[in-house]
Amino acid sequence: EEEDDSITIKGVRISGRPLYLDMQATTPVDPRVLDAMLPFYLSRYGNPHSRTHLYGWESDAAVEEARARVARLIGADPREIFFTSGATECNNIAVKGVMHFYRDRRRHVITTQTEHKCVLDSCRYLQQEGFEVTYLPVRPDGLIDVAQLADAIRPDTGLVSVMAVNNEIGVVQPLEEIGRICREKGVPFHTDAAQALGKIPIDVNQMGIGLMSLSAHKIYGPKGVGALYLRRRPRIRVEPQMSGGGQERGIRSGTVPTPIVVGFGAACEIAAKEMDYDERRVSALQQRLLDGIRSKVDDVVINGSMEHRYAGNLNLSFAYVEGESLLMGLKEVAVSSGSACTSASLEPSYVLRALGVDEDMAHTSIRFGIGRFTTEEEVDRATELTVHQVLKLREMSPLYEMAKAGIDIKSIQWSQH
Amino acid sequence: MGSACFWFLNFYHFVLPLAISINDWNLLCRISVTFVDKDGDETVINVPIGMSMLEAAHENDIELEGACEGSLACSTCHVIVTDVDYYNKLEDPEDEENDMLDLAFGLTETSRLGCQVIASPELDGIRLALPAATRNFAVDGHVPKPH
Repeated sequence: EEEDDSITIKGVRISGRPLYLDMQATTPVDPRVLDAMLPFYLSRYGNPHSRTHLYGWESDAAVEEARARVARLIGADPREIFFTSGATECNNIAVKGVMHFYRDRRRHVITTQTEHKCVLDSCRYLQQEGFEVTYLPVRPDGLIDVAQLADAIRPDTGLVSVMAVNNEIGVVQPLEEIGRICREKGVPFHTDAAQALGKIPIDVNQMGIGLMSLSAHKIYGPKGVGALYLRRRPRIRVEPQMSGGGQERGIRSGTVPTPIVVGFGAACEIAAKEMDYDERRVSALQQRLLDGIRSKVDDVVINGSMEHRYAGNLNLSFAYVEGESLLMGLKEVAVSSGSACTSASLEPSYVLRALGVDEDMAHTSIRFGIGRFTTEEEVDRATELTVHQVLKLREMSPLYEMAKAGIDIKSIQWSQH
Repeated sequence: MGSACFWFLNFYHFVLPLAISINDWNLLCRISVTFVDKDGDETVINVPIGMSMLEAAHENDIELEGACEGSLACSTCHVIVTDVDYYNKLEDPEDEENDMLDLAFGLTETSRLGCQVIASPELDGIRLALPAATRNFAVDGHVPKPH
């Protein structure tokens, strides 16, 4: 019997666990965060809403401490933070909750075409109920036109929702400008900051943010927990999506899960301390990856603005190469094509379509996610594998041959059989 | 309060030979408030200036529970100001009142705590709707007696 360290899964054999370069999908839990969480599973396991004994009191104190840590990272007051099960739930509460509360006077929502599916689906749900939604287009660099947003605001606009950092292409929207316009016009500004928290500096007062969705598992915290920021002055009200005993000030009923909330708080505290260091490291790694690929391969397109970008997200399209076959060849690297959420459907990424990227280029896009624990060796190996696979596929590609011969691919009339 | 009213009104009656209507006399001391309960039945009461809506409701046997007796520690005296013009005449709620309102059942944009709405002349004719329920889970219809 031969010694076999390889892994066989779904009929595919790979020599070991792949390199993880998919940080936008999720991140590993920081060991320091796990250390903070474990006591609350094993010995301090009380329900934070038990008011009569030590177990409840210590659990409640831990939750409040975590709340303060999350608040500090975004410049908010702890009373403005409400724990939920994640950013998807926060987006549901923000979009549906705000519009339902103000349903008599506010019937219009403004959002963008590149939002996360949970925001877009919540908006579609509102449309079914009779609300009107404006989906703002984006420029080819992924940013919205702020003047267009200002024009779109009507007297009955109840919410503007623009995500801070896009999960697929990594572009950073101009939050301060959007916040200023929304404040001037008296419309609440909601931002999905799941990918932005702990990575770019956020100050809810400077940016005029009224509601913000936060997620723990994107900043090296546990999965299953997030937080909603709800401004107190001027007070923004929402209709709760979860009915129950009124926990989290009635905004989100249900026992607050102390261990993972504590983990979220610990992750936020670490992120506050290490944001600058991580940013420098990740930017250097991104440059290394990009230079490594571009030096060997031509016709590589970066999707989204390079100036207004979070460095840890690099979305590249390789012309004349088919996306699925590229991914199949990159079995040793865990990367994503489009977003993790789109992989369940066969639809090409709607975010890339909103940028104006052609379908063939959209299908060939690869998203590299670099994070706190990514090493230089991993980046080098990923570069090597990507270059090797792209060159191999291009050698086989008739389109590439034609393009090199000077033929304009778009002018070709493909005959139907 | 009654006798001060008497002397006050006498002073005005004899010193100022202006024809003051009965309505104006009332406004000097009391305002008219209409409570609308969850079934739509209306009760009109007279509330002296300076009294809170919660106290007025209790004096007139209107079903408005005030579990914490006006100390901003509950949301059971939640009332809805049906007319947004009257709502705007009220002072903005303090953070503490807003915190308690957050917990109220059936919250609306023009909700206030009855113990924080104090009768004043410009609120004459205000209509206050009682919400369908309070935070208490008395789904069997139980109504707690006022203290």
